[in-house]
Amino acid sequence: MTSQLKKEDSVGKVIVITSGKGGVGKTTSSAAIGAGLAKRGLKTVVIDFDVGLRNLDMIMGCERRVVYDFINVIQGEAKLKQALIRDKRVDTLYVLPTSQTRDKDALTQEGVEAVLNELREEFDYIICDSPAGIERGAQLAMYFADEAVVVTNPEVSSVRDSDRVLGLLNSKTKRAAEEGAEPIKAQVLLTRYDKARIEKGEMMTVEDVLEILAVPLLGIVPESPAVLKASNVGVPVVLDEPSAASQAYEDAVSRLIGEVVEMRVDGERKPGLLRRLFGRSA
Amino acid sequence: MPIQDADEREAQAPATSTSFQLRGKLFTAVTLLPEGGVPDAAFYAALDEQLQKTPQFFNNAPVILDLQSAPALARTEDLRRVVDLLRERKLSAFGVQNARPAQLAAAQEAGLISVTTGNDTPLRVPRSEKKGAAKPPPPKPGKIITTPVRSGQTIIADQGDLVVLAPVSSGAELVAAGNIHVYGRLRGRAMAGAYGDTRARIFCGKLEAELLAVAGLYRTSDSLEDALLGQGVQAFLDGNKLCVEALG
Repeated sequence: MTSQLKKEDSVGKVIVITSGKGGVGKTTSSAAIGAGLAKRGLKTVVIDFDVGLRNLDMIMGCERRVVYDFINVIQGEAKLKQALIRDKRVDTLYVLPTSQTRDKDALTQEGVEAVLNELREEFDYIICDSPAGIERGAQLAMYFADEAVVVTNPEVSSVRDSDRVLGLLNSKTKRAAEEGAEPIKAQVLLTRYDKARIEKGEMMTVEDVLEILAVPLLGIVPESPAVLKASNVGVPVVLDEPSAASQAYEDAVSRLIGEVVEMRVDGERKPGLLRRLFGRSA
Repeated sequence: MPIQDADEREAQAPATSTSFQLRGKLFTAVTLLPEGGVPDAAFYAALDEQLQKTPQFFNNAPVILDLQSAPALARTEDLRRVVDLLRERKLSAFGVQNARPAQLAAAQEAGLISVTTGNDTPLRVPRSEKKGAAKPPPPKPGKIITTPVRSGQTIIADQGDLVVLAPVSSGAELVAAGNIHVYGRLRGRAMAGAYGDTRARIFCGKLEAELLAVAGLYRTSDSLEDALLGQGVQAFLDGNKLCVEALG
């Protein structure tokens, strides 16, 4: 339906979810943002660029339906349509899984470009889940991006790595290389935000992080057991039962598509209060 | 009068003597540059014409003869005659400069001292000549950066100064042949005078640098005083010491 509503001349937007550092929540965020966009009726595909360390399909709960993958498509062994997996819960959500048996060298710039161009015709949003690091996989994930979401934890090493990645976004991407092109719009998504630990001085404050990274804030996702649980059962956070984290991702998705939503910093508190009011029903 | 000064110096009297005092004196002298051989009638005619334009200005002016362009003016009697003719025109020649050894001996014989100090004021070049003359080289272009310098980035200003109007992150590097100015927070490394210019300085609005270096001498954040952190500072070389001082 949505693809019919789409204007013929408009092409999909490529958004890379990246961070530099591993374990900060790139894949969780890719799944949540992808699902959040799809829930709004926007046709969305999430691509796993972490060749050899395939995780996205598990977090999206489609690991048992993988037949062909991204690498097969790049190497011409399968058609794109054969590799795309449609989500069973949201019909505008697709996953393009990667290969668990190959490595990053299987990615070629021409191959990635061809697949992304084909997806741009079909989809409103193409979410690229970048691997950690700044090597080939991460560079190709960001190379063709129009926008970037830099996932950061409020701690110094994560922030420094994110800063490095922001530098690469401004120098090692197609938009950076092309003269006159608008630079990649980068925003920071702060995850695993723990208000109590920040108050104790164990973690950096939002202000500190933004002061260093000097890019707009897309959202603040609180540290939440809901995230871990959703990952383990293969349900993107926003498709699971409401939690502070899912609310934060929903807000981030709204901002991503240009809506103005007030920033909630202490999201975890409200459900805590609700839980207290409604007793132990959960 | 300088001649008196010289005499007093020769006397080598202790400066604490009660009979007289010794004082240094700075004054402006006029340098006269004769060209060619021994000044002739035409020379004095031209000089008179020049003096008439500003008669008061040259009245009893102390004069130094610059012998750079007059190698033939080397005999004592010629120099004496020049001094006399100048004195007739109320110009008090007392010394020579740029004299060749033979000229110097003749000048001392004629009572002129050797003057080696002082700077000439620049000669005003006639306009017509100025046009053809080579223009001074344009100031070396520096670099101005307006976007944040991220971790892992290196910005190099091969020539001149590097000016950064944005924050410089930890893990970023700034290198400049000249000075470095950072108007945002400096968290990375800054290396000024990269080609050995010891006069180069680093200026930053808020110091949190990992490393500051001028002409190869460096200090890491470990060796910076805590009181300077977050302050506006400048770093410069004082001999073999890299000084970091608060600004303002």
